[in-house]
Amino acid sequence: MSLTEQEILRYSRHIILPEVGGRGQKRIKASSVLVAGLGAAGSPAAMYLAAAGVGRITLWDPADLTAADLTGAIAHTRARIGQNRAESGRAKLEGINPDAEINAVTDPDVLPALVAGHQVVVATTGDWTAVQSAAAASGAAVVFAGVHGASGALFAYRPGEPCLGCIGPDAAADAGLLPEETGSGDVDTRFAGSGGVGRVVSAAGGVIGTAAATEALKLILGIGTPLTGRILRYDGWDARFREVRVTRRSDCSLCAGN
Amino acid sequence: MEAYFTPAEQARLAASSVLLIGCGGLGSPVAYELAAAGVGRIGLCDMDRVDLSNLQRQVLHDSADVGRLKVESGMAKISALRPETHVDLHPVSLTSENALELFTQYDLILDGSDNFATRYLVNDACVLTGRPQVHGSIFRFDGQVTTFIPGQGPCYRCLWPTPPPPGSVPSCAEAGVIGVLPGFVGSLMAMEALKVLSGRGATLVGRLLVYSALDMDVAEVQVRRNPDCPICGTHPTIHELIDYEQFCGGVGR
Repeated sequence: MSLTEQEILRYSRHIILPEVGGRGQKRIKASSVLVAGLGAAGSPAAMYLAAAGVGRITLWDPADLTAADLTGAIAHTRARIGQNRAESGRAKLEGINPDAEINAVTDPDVLPALVAGHQVVVATTGDWTAVQSAAAASGAAVVFAGVHGASGALFAYRPGEPCLGCIGPDAAADAGLLPEETGSGDVDTRFAGSGGVGRVVSAAGGVIGTAAATEALKLILGIGTPLTGRILRYDGWDARFREVRVTRRSDCSLCAGN
Repeated sequence: MEAYFTPAEQARLAASSVLLIGCGGLGSPVAYELAAAGVGRIGLCDMDRVDLSNLQRQVLHDSADVGRLKVESGMAKISALRPETHVDLHPVSLTSENALELFTQYDLILDGSDNFATRYLVNDACVLTGRPQVHGSIFRFDGQVTTFIPGQGPCYRCLWPTPPPPGSVPSCAEAGVIGVLPGFVGSLMAMEALKVLSGRGATLVGRLLVYSALDMDVAEVQVRRNPDCPICGTHPTIHELIDYEQFCGGVGR
């Protein structure tokens, strides 16, 4: 896979980085990423991956866009309320980078089946246990990114390293490593258009979502120290980050034997 | 404690105004995130037009925006997301002549500039007008963020009294930058702005966050006010804006 003259100009700030170079940019172009959930974390994650030149991006989201989503999820617009969030996200990503192949998947049941067709998964919503199992079986890497209010957590999985199951559901919940809530049942429409009673502070979604995109790019490029074996926690109200170490469990029901 | 802003805090955001210096890498996430959170008025200050090489990191601009003024492209994205947010366009270069008058029109200044002359200018103008400032900078895979509030903590000059020698720090074009880096640093900056404006949470006043994307590590450094600071110290010697190009060695970096 080679780069066109236009691509060399577009990605010039990447290509002059020794850690990326022309070779790394071609790897990014040849890569495929599945982004589950186009909410407050998934929106910036998908937008930055498209901008960075990821060749194929699949957006999975069964939910329709609500007014409350717009207080946190920046990939969408007011005019697209009522549309499916993956479809709305695809429109955004195609505007940012028409060279990328963007697919939108709206079927709620197919998320685990999509994992095998991608190099990296950025999971912000959906059934994370099923995603983890599918990744352990297929060899895909996963970046789990959860955000609620102004806090969030991030964790990366690569085959052979500690997985979500090794952390365990209680410890993951304690660390705030949980899928972002979707659905519009709790929306107070009095505030629609004036900020809204959202579930996630836009900027905290940005912090967690861009960190997830960063990890995805590092996994694609094979550079730096990935966030495997550790959970990064973020508290936006205090602007504090903390790290929690994670070890592999030989009796883990999700990754044992893989 | 509620997870999201309370109605009273949201009302404060809706009544607030922010001036973004730069609609590039750092300004991109900030513009979206401040609008989404319900900030009432956003001023965009940038004289540049969108270039193809910007698009790898400046997600405020689409491929179809190449050649367009960044402030116009930015306004289009903000309005599509939240039409109630008022957008002021300032397609000008920030100078010692216009900074004070511009800053007094806003509650908070967010510095997303990419050169030292502008950073010192923004700092001094914020101190002279008493405006809080959210500061961020990026280089290759690394970034820094802090908040300066006059009277409450250090200013930019307390931390960096003198600019680096001209030519000693390469630009984005010379050194490169991983595209998602300004997204992360800018989002941290937007969160700071939302906290200052809403009155909720603990800001980074007196603390500098130092980020490494390659390590995915964020360290915190305590920073203090310099009593001898020439602009915010006990006996300031700078009482008006100076020539910042000259101060930084005649190079805008």
